[in-house]
Amino acid sequence: MIKVNKLNKVFNQNTKKEFHALKNINIQIKTSSCVILKGVSGSGKSTLLSILGTLSKPSSGDIIVNEDSIAKLPDLHASAFRAKNLGFIFQSYNLFNELDVSENVSIPLIPLGFTKKQINEKVEIALNLANIKHKENETVLNLSGGEKQRVAIARALVNNPDIILCDEPTANLDTNNSLKFIDVMKKLKALKKTIIIATHDPIFDNLDFVDDIINIKNGEILE
Amino acid sequence: MKNSTFFNFLFLLIYKHKSKHIAISLISVLIVFLISSVLFMSSSIQKELFSTLDAQSDFVVQKMNQGRITNIPNSWIEDFSQINGVKNVQQRVYGQYYFQPSKKYFTIVGVDLFEENINKNIKKLLSKLNISDFLEKDSMIIGNGVKKQFDKFYYSDNYSFKLSNRELKKVLIFKDLPKASNLIANDLIIMDISLAKEILNINEDESSDIILNVPNELERPNVKVELILKHLDIRVIQKEDIKKAYENLYNYKGGIFLILFIIVMITFVLILYQRYTMISSSDKKEIGILKAVGWSIKDIIKLKIFETFIVAFLAFLIGIIFAYIFVFILDAPFLSNIFLGFHNLENNVSFIPNISFSSIVTLFIFFIIPFISAVLIPVWKIAVIDAQESMK
Repeated sequence: MIKVNKLNKVFNQNTKKEFHALKNINIQIKTSSCVILKGVSGSGKSTLLSILGTLSKPSSGDIIVNEDSIAKLPDLHASAFRAKNLGFIFQSYNLFNELDVSENVSIPLIPLGFTKKQINEKVEIALNLANIKHKENETVLNLSGGEKQRVAIARALVNNPDIILCDEPTANLDTNNSLKFIDVMKKLKALKKTIIIATHDPIFDNLDFVDDIINIKNGEILE
Repeated sequence: MKNSTFFNFLFLLIYKHKSKHIAISLISVLIVFLISSVLFMSSSIQKELFSTLDAQSDFVVQKMNQGRITNIPNSWIEDFSQINGVKNVQQRVYGQYYFQPSKKYFTIVGVDLFEENINKNIKKLLSKLNISDFLEKDSMIIGNGVKKQFDKFYYSDNYSFKLSNRELKKVLIFKDLPKASNLIANDLIIMDISLAKEILNINEDESSDIILNVPNELERPNVKVELILKHLDIRVIQKEDIKKAYENLYNYKGGIFLILFIIVMITFVLILYQRYTMISSSDKKEIGILKAVGWSIKDIIKLKIFETFIVAFLAFLIGIIFAYIFVFILDAPFLSNIFLGFHNLENNVSFIPNISFSSIVTLFIFFIIPFISAVLIPVWKIAVIDAQESMK
């Protein structure tokens, strides 16, 4: 269970440029559910996602994941939490373009103390799950957008996290690749992963495996 | 973190990012190459000069006449020998000879080949000499610089020196000295002492100066006073004074190069700092991605320390190897003339390897620490901000 309590995020606090990105957010996301954070650009959904993923810290409020507060973890603990529990999929994939597919997918495992053999095994599982195994030795630079997205999915899955966070995952994909992405998400849902997708893409409306859609506007949740 | 997977990733990243490191590496190699070339040359020359000096006698006594050095009577050898603590009193014959065709000066040194206490350096230069062959005819052994000048004017077998009475003295070129001796013997002509006196117009009962040893260091100041008391019109030069003069010269030259080194290092560090402060969006993104996928700031800093260290270390190593080849194998073309200078004969010096390990370590520390700091401070600044921000 993920509980978000009275969460606020203020940029440039106490300056003329002060901006309230998130205002008093209270949500609960059940384990193994799929939740869509929906809103237009600048509504605050990506900010909420990055706070849920411990990539940034809230100005106030708390986030409880399985009874542990993660809102203001120090860097070492936050990175350990991310490495163990989270998988990120970004709009712009955020891959190392000079490295090949396998090398990119293995990166989250390097600080975790696995052997080369263990890493190879885990990478293979993730590549198969994301349906990109056939491109494992291809340099990312030479891949299409859809293929890059699948590499990003494989990287997000490689440490077998419980929570998958997706930030505008279909923004750079055509309809065909977007549908493929949705298929993978469906598969992950079946594997009991908690999936949170921040998007404004209407393709996610009315999907049978989506448990909840949370609408955000101007940093506030619309009831 | 398993070290093998970490280092695999590290080397992979360095290899894939090689184009990013090339410019900084090239500048680093150039800086290390220049500084270590100067260091190698300086330590080689210093060692050569000091070992030459060590072979010299403790005192040189010159006769002065109205402020100018004149020939010294050999009878004074006996006078000086009577002073307590004085050993190996010998005459020395040398002088400059003007080689008119190329308007250059050569240094003629007269050697008494039967003298037991002959100068160690001269002894070394003449080690494989067949004395009877050498003395059979008027012969000379010449340094490399002299040989070049003789060859230029086709004096390949002999040369006729002009004497003060306008007559010519034909002297055979017996052999030339090895290039390795160029630093001390480039302009040297070594011949028998009597022949040298004839060419330099020194009377048979005179010499250029007198040298002597005082084995007991504590006696030297007293001996110096006694020498002056024996003959007031003399100048006494102590080996320690020459050593100090050399040291001053090298400290002065070394100081100039040290200042240049500091200026170069500061400029380089500023360039590096500027380069990494204006860290490219791809570098920023890379740090952001690593954070997002679970790398801690500690892991990222560790990766960057190793990455920078390997690049800097390789650049350092290549710079040192290039400097070694440049100085000790190619004999430092261009740079040796700047460092040594020449006003008479161009000297193609062969540098004998003499590397001071402490200088290399000092250079390494003064190079690596600013290098790593200049890279890490901006990287750390990026690593501590939100990953979301870095990835934008």
